[in-house]
Amino acid sequence: MPAGVQSRRAARVREVADIALAIRTENLTKIYDVGWGRQHVGIEELNLEVETGQIFGLVGPNGSGKTTTLKLLLGLIFPTSGAGEVLGEPMGDPRSKNRVGYLPEGPYFYEHLNAPELLRMYGSLFGMGGAALDARIQELLELVDMWDRRDYRIADYSRGMLQRVGVAQSLINNPDLLFFDEPTSGLDPIGAKDIREVILRLRGEGKTVFLCSHLLKEMEPICDNIAILSRGRLVTEGSVAELLRGDRLRYRLELREPDEELLAKLQGNAEEVLWLEETCRLLFADRQAAFDAAAQAEDEGGYVLAAGPDRRTLEEVFIDAVGEVSVDASDL
Amino acid sequence: MSRSAQKLVAWIVLIGVFIGLQPLNDALSYNRLVLGYARPTPVTKVLQFDAPAMTGIIVGAMMGGFREVAASMLWMKTHSMWHSGEGTKWDHLSLMRMTTLLDPHWLEPWRITAWHCAYNLYVETDDPKEQARLLDMGVNVLKEGISWNPDRFELYFELGWTYFDKIRDYPEAARWLAAAVRFEHPEHIERLIAHAWERLPDMEKALMWYDYCIKRRPSDHTAKGATITIRERYMPAERLVQQRRYDEAAEAVQQYLLVYPTSTLGLHMMGYVYEQAHDYEKALEYWSLAAETLALNHYARYKVAELCERLGWPVPEYASHIYMREQELRKEMAVTHEVN
Amino acid sequence: MRAIFRVARATYYEGWRKRFLNGILVFAILIIGSSWVFTYLQPGAELKMLIDVGLGSIRFFGMLIAVFLGSRLVPDEIEKRTIYTLLSKPVTRMQFLLGKFFGGLATVVSNMALMGLTFYIVFMIKAPQFAQPTEDSPAYKMEFMYENIAKAVLLSFFEMAVVMGIAVVASVVFSWILAAIFSFFVYFTGQMSEFFGHLADPDTGASPVARVVLLTVYRVLPHFENFDVRESILTDVPVIWSYVGMTIGMGVLYITIVLALGYLFFNQREV
Repeated sequence: MPAGVQSRRAARVREVADIALAIRTENLTKIYDVGWGRQHVGIEELNLEVETGQIFGLVGPNGSGKTTTLKLLLGLIFPTSGAGEVLGEPMGDPRSKNRVGYLPEGPYFYEHLNAPELLRMYGSLFGMGGAALDARIQELLELVDMWDRRDYRIADYSRGMLQRVGVAQSLINNPDLLFFDEPTSGLDPIGAKDIREVILRLRGEGKTVFLCSHLLKEMEPICDNIAILSRGRLVTEGSVAELLRGDRLRYRLELREPDEELLAKLQGNAEEVLWLEETCRLLFADRQAAFDAAAQAEDEGGYVLAAGPDRRTLEEVFIDAVGEVSVDASDL
Repeated sequence: MSRSAQKLVAWIVLIGVFIGLQPLNDALSYNRLVLGYARPTPVTKVLQFDAPAMTGIIVGAMMGGFREVAASMLWMKTHSMWHSGEGTKWDHLSLMRMTTLLDPHWLEPWRITAWHCAYNLYVETDDPKEQARLLDMGVNVLKEGISWNPDRFELYFELGWTYFDKIRDYPEAARWLAAAVRFEHPEHIERLIAHAWERLPDMEKALMWYDYCIKRRPSDHTAKGATITIRERYMPAERLVQQRRYDEAAEAVQQYLLVYPTSTLGLHMMGYVYEQAHDYEKALEYWSLAAETLALNHYARYKVAELCERLGWPVPEYASHIYMREQELRKEMAVTHEVN
Repeated sequence: MRAIFRVARATYYEGWRKRFLNGILVFAILIIGSSWVFTYLQPGAELKMLIDVGLGSIRFFGMLIAVFLGSRLVPDEIEKRTIYTLLSKPVTRMQFLLGKFFGGLATVVSNMALMGLTFYIVFMIKAPQFAQPTEDSPAYKMEFMYENIAKAVLLSFFEMAVVMGIAVVASVVFSWILAAIFSFFVYFTGQMSEFFGHLADPDTGASPVARVVLLTVYRVLPHFENFDVRESILTDVPVIWSYVGMTIGMGVLYITIVLALGYLFFNQREV
């Protein structure tokens, strides 16, 4: 068999096998030399799998390694060890760049251009041109609501305008995979909502979106899957629904300042009791126990605030997960 | 191409080009020298680690293309300080010296610096040793300037003029002026050479140069006038000397001295006549007169010292210093000669 | 090629917007435009003064622009994060580096061309009257002067291309301030590479170790003085094309070396 055919076949096999994965990393590690022999861990032993067609959120506090991961995947920096693949090619491979879009954190562009000129320059890097490019530019600027302000020089842009144009430039080549680093930071609520809508629309078009953010409230409604990073390590990972539910679904009863007598009676069946300021939250293993306790509390003059399935917010998940690691770290 | 292969190619290109560059660089250095594109630098002085020459090269390189502009600005500053009377003359000297280091191919600062030493600073002091030092300084500044600009007439001329006008060392003046005329130069330099020989006095050489001036430009009145004067006043005496009729020769010059008793030329001529007659006492008398009538007549002083030495008389204070310097120089030259 | 051109074009226009650069240009043009004023300092050699100040300023200010622009081209992109959007597009690092270099070079050359034009105008007006003979100096010959000046300016373009290449590559390795200092240092020592060659001569009696060091310096440094042909302008010796060609060739080879080094450094550089 000629070598050409063989390698084409190998490529096809690879394509089929990885079709569902847009990004995969394997023990990806980046350690920075800070100088004088000191080192700083960027990320450590990171294993990620991002399926195509989903919105994937990489969350974590500042300095947890989100941007490091992004830069590694884009080939802007090089791993200390481990490997990764983007759209079936090794990270940083020029072949994948045609199908990737990137919005850096706090983007900035050549000041002397206006938005259409900037997009034309970027578009021409992909070999685009002519009327098709002009149409694409108009489409994108309308998408990010910048078409009316297209004559402004970038030097005169506000932070929000920069962010909008940043989104537009990342979409110029109609990429299959998008990397957004803190896409809504610095935006007003309306701007943030606009960007979220764009992201959801992209998923609707079958694209994969890789989001990095520390704004959990904004990630919660739009992400399909989430990975939480802390100090360069993957703390927890999974679909948003799973994470919010926890390991198993429990039921909660919330009372307002129950007296000690009542609390002592109800506590027997509860798995856990939590005080959140003047609210007392009791967690039960099954539905029946929770509602029985609620009825009992009503009967005995307690003030029932709520009863129902116990869903956590992403923030709680995050604090739980990151908190654990912090304890681990301080024990070391 | 894999990443490491690309790297290898880059290294091969790098080393290959670097090696290929060397003969090109050598060829360019040669071309610059031969085609005359390089400004002259005192290479031999560099080889001897001569401090001012090295400073000139390093300062010049540090300033890059801006050296001439910087030198002009410094020169303007010197000008304004000079005219406003700001700073001492020594302050001015250091500024001037710095300008010569900044742009050694600019002739004006060399000339002015030497003039400043030999004329302005000279009159500030009465100490003959200090005066001699200042004259030396002026002469050395010009010689250093010549080492940077060996193919221009200006500094040779300036040095010749300093010897002629200030120091009155006529043999030296004639030497440096003759060096100046090897390059493109204005006409008056040849005349000055003739003047220098005339003062020595070496009338034959003086006439030869005047003749040259007149042949080149028949309307050269100065040269004509000088030729007539020499032929009328001194040539008769010169011929008598050649015929060893010394008394008659002295008589002839004496008639002229009756009219112009302080004429440098006449006094030199008398000294010359008596020296030829081996009447050293009389010669000394006239050379002393010449040395004393002018504020500085180096050549006459030198003659006085030489004759005193010959007669076994004590050398007068004003002449001894110059004579010692002359002797030291001779000794030095003899040593270098032996070494070579 | 397309990517290099695009990056270069953006760099070129961006370069014109740098305030410090405009400042240097205006100052340079003022000095060059008034270069004939300096000539009163040296009666009898006005022409030398005019050429020295004019061409000297073009070289000096060209060098300043090349160093300060060159040493900030890449660091500014990193600092402003414009490099991220570019490198995530189909632009290789070498294309990026070449685009930055050629774009910056276009800025430097057009700045210097403006200075050169100013000088040429001043020269054409003033030189004929300065070339007249005076009492103290013979007449200047002006047979080759005009074309020699054009050749001198052409050579200085290539000189600044080498300087800028050094600045760009140094800024990939060091911070931009250190890169600027390094480039100045290389430029100044390169001005006197011939001097190092002389010092390495066995006749100087330098120690063998010192000689090896001096000879290495002489061999490695770009010989910037080769780009300087002002002496021939004053003496009105024709600057022959073969010399111009060889010097430009030397410049191009140095740029090749510098860019190959740039490739090696920048490919490993994290941004």
